[in-house]
Amino acid sequence: MTQNVLFLLVLVAALGFFSYNAQRLVRYLTTGHDEHRTDHPWTRLRNVVVIGIGQSKILREPFAGILHASVFWGFVILTLGSIEILARGVFPAFGFDRMLPTPVHGLFLLSQELFAGLVLAAVVVLLYRRLVIKPRRLQGDKVHSGDAVFILSMIAALMVTLFLSATFDRVVEARHAAAFQPISSVLALVFGGVSPGTARSIATASTWSHALLLLAFLNYLPYSKHLHVITSLPNTFFSNTSGPGQVGVMRPMDLEAEGVETFGASDVKDLSWKNLLDGYSCTECGRCTAACPANITGKPLSPRKIVVNVRQRTMEIAPLLKGDRAEAAHAVLAGGEGDDAGGGTVGERVGHRLLDTYITEDELWACTSCRACVQECPVSIDQLDVINELRRNLVLTESRFPEEIQPAFEAMERNGAPWKFQPADRGRWADGLGVTTMAEFAERNERPDVLFWVGCMASFDDRAKKIAVAFARILNAAGIRFAILAQEESCNGDPARRMGNEYLYQMLARQAIETLDRYHVTTIVTTCPHCFHQIGNEYPQLGGHYEVIHHSTYIERLLQQELVPLRTENGKQLVVAYHDSCYLGRYNDVYDAPRETLKRALPVVTVAEPPRNRSRGLCCGAGGGRMWMEERVGKRINVERTEELLGTGADALAVACPFCMTMISDGAKALGSDVPVYDIAEVVAGQLER
Amino acid sequence: MKIAVCIKRVPEMDVRFKIAPSGTSVDETGLKWDMSDFDGYAVEAALQLTEKLGNGEVVVVTVGPDAAQETLRKALSMGVTRAVHLKVDAIPFDNFAIARALATELQGGGYDLILFGKMSIDSSNGAVGPITAELLNLPCVAAASKLEIANGKGTARRELEGAAELLEFPLPAVVSIDEGVARPRYPSLKGIMAAKKKPLEVKPAQLGDLRMTVSTMALPPDRPPGRILGEGVAAVPELVRLLQTEAKVL
Ligand code: SF4
Ligand code: SF4
Repeated sequence: MTQNVLFLLVLVAALGFFSYNAQRLVRYLTTGHDEHRTDHPWTRLRNVVVIGIGQSKILREPFAGILHASVFWGFVILTLGSIEILARGVFPAFGFDRMLPTPVHGLFLLSQELFAGLVLAAVVVLLYRRLVIKPRRLQGDKVHSGDAVFILSMIAALMVTLFLSATFDRVVEARHAAAFQPISSVLALVFGGVSPGTARSIATASTWSHALLLLAFLNYLPYSKHLHVITSLPNTFFSNTSGPGQVGVMRPMDLEAEGVETFGASDVKDLSWKNLLDGYSCTECGRCTAACPANITGKPLSPRKIVVNVRQRTMEIAPLLKGDRAEAAHAVLAGGEGDDAGGGTVGERVGHRLLDTYITEDELWACTSCRACVQECPVSIDQLDVINELRRNLVLTESRFPEEIQPAFEAMERNGAPWKFQPADRGRWADGLGVTTMAEFAERNERPDVLFWVGCMASFDDRAKKIAVAFARILNAAGIRFAILAQEESCNGDPARRMGNEYLYQMLARQAIETLDRYHVTTIVTTCPHCFHQIGNEYPQLGGHYEVIHHSTYIERLLQQELVPLRTENGKQLVVAYHDSCYLGRYNDVYDAPRETLKRALPVVTVAEPPRNRSRGLCCGAGGGRMWMEERVGKRINVERTEELLGTGADALAVACPFCMTMISDGAKALGSDVPVYDIAEVVAGQLER
Repeated sequence: MKIAVCIKRVPEMDVRFKIAPSGTSVDETGLKWDMSDFDGYAVEAALQLTEKLGNGEVVVVTVGPDAAQETLRKALSMGVTRAVHLKVDAIPFDNFAIARALATELQGGGYDLILFGKMSIDSSNGAVGPITAELLNLPCVAAASKLEIANGKGTARRELEGAAELLEFPLPAVVSIDEGVARPRYPSLKGIMAAKKKPLEVKPAQLGDLRMTVSTMALPPDRPPGRILGEGVAAVPELVRLLQTEAKVL
């Protein structure tokens, strides 16, 4: 009886302290601005089931994945047992055995035994991995390795106490069939010689230890990176990759809002509560950083650091802003990563901000916006969103950016292209091809079936123009009535947006939408994944709604319908390595169309895959405005990627993006290779009947 | 420190111009307009001078049609304090008239320094600055590539063919600015928003009599197309012969 009262007191104290911390952490989230994250609830739930419960992202890395999934699933099952243990601490008469028919209860017991065994085994391997193998991605200047070891040991202790209590219960009296408790019944045999009195004491002590450890574990979480145990499922539910057509779409921004003086984010208060929840949820697993092309090639960018430092800065400033004097005074949750991470006296902390104190300009400009980090994160964190918001602040509020991109901004504004080309020359690539412009169609009171949006690269760049020509030849051969805008087309604004210049972006985008709507355009096909993503997925934010199809998908459809007259002889037996474009693949899930197109056009072709392919494909290095910036630090990303592609031993490399074309061609040149680089449209056009 | 910067709205020059039906001006349809490049350097130089001194005012002045207010707003978004628009229907060709309009505005304004771009990139005269200085009876440095102000005195550097000269002059003075002084800053959105609320005064330009007009305007003749003589080594003798006899470069 006294024992139960005592336990009740402990339980209330533990749950009370946990609730205190929970409300505190929830309150800190309101340091960030408001944002709706409940649209498309079914997609969100599906993500929770697939990514959360199903552990689909964790399992992308099979070895560590299966271990973690075992611990996770084990915990879910064992929670049922924990409820029983805690309830019995207060009401000794409580027990599932009284509520369930014996066979069902037996299965419950069995599940507890087996999963506890599984968790224990997984934890031992994980500890071995942390302490002995030490994989690179778990290293980092301030990664909380001690924290991980502590938590793993705690889990191990939880499992051991669970077994001890079941074992010695059995030594006292075997109340359940041995088949339902295979592990503890064997152990009970081993300890069979212990007197019932001693056994009872050990069983009680183990149950108490288990319950106390459990409560301690619960209360340790808010102070540890293992907070993700609680936040990762909600974080997955609220992740902004949930809505259809929302993948990789940048936040809309109202530039005309009254009284707004700063734009983008310079500190956590300018981020959304979801970005801060991302911070709470980071497990510091380093999967994002291990996949980051900038990090891989030695740039000062680590997406993990971005997220860890969002958390660090939140814990540093939120208690001050929310009036939690006591919390503000003592050490914060977890240290930030990097030399520039804050800390210090209250006065110093107020003077800090996320930008500069924790995250430097150089890191932000190193990002290629490839989304590899977002793709890999097992708890659905959006590192790129933070990078984009900080970039917006740099450009829109502070006018700080690498000086090389100013000419690009100016050219986009004056020339309607990110280089100083003459707008009047935009349609020149099509001279002599018999391509009709939108204006010519309109003059005849006709409308084409599709608009070919050419994009700046394929309009002006000598190499990329050949892609436009090849695609136009395919369309002509297939008898498609298509038009181009020629000098009425101008930059869609994506480079400006990715470089943080939302003002310039909206100017260009509105202009483009005005042109498209003037001609009542409904269907657009383009050879550029950036135009494809921008016009199709981001223009709706500004009221432009079009069906946009990338040429890989479009050509694949034409081939499928046998509309393209191809030569029948098979040609040479070629091995082609295909390079995935980020804005086609990770942003829009188009992986098969370009590969299928290659195979259909050249039946004897073998498509070779570099080790990093499809959703794991490495960026060419051009995205996020990197095309216009110098690459001064580390190895060149395009060289790294081209090496991987050439490493397949392919006879030719294939791309489906004019920017990838430039980067991979330059990479091949830098490596002294004469393996040719083709766009998929060029491969198909090369097979057209003459 | 009070600085005036006289700026001009000019068309983007990287296009193939067409002549308007009148035959005396370019066809303006489809042209993009912006502040003349050298004027951008002048605005930047003025902003840096006042920023360095920690106080002061920069005023931009332009002569032009209504659309020139966009150019003034751009200067305001870069950080200029206020703007004056001296309104005309079309910018006249007569430099003297423009200088007169500017001098009338600047006279008695209490400016320590009046900056110009060294010339406008469309008409390339480089004359309005020096004429204005003359009308205001002020010392003038044309095409300064470096400008410093200290103790009420100015020093400027001018690039000459293969040499440079350093000049010293008292204030107030007129200086026209060459590139190289400072790269014009890119206006932040914050600056663009702030510019909308800054004062922009509109007055008719006091041009006086126009004594010079454009009689005709002509495009340069088309360049003859290139010729392909052949491929590889076989084409070399013919190439050398033509370079000697036709192009006369060898
Ligand atoms: S988007 Fe790509 S480059 Fe940017 S941080 Fe993520 S992984 Fe690195
Ligand atoms: S952000 Fe995601 S992938 Fe990166 S370290 Fe944190 S949990 Fe891992």
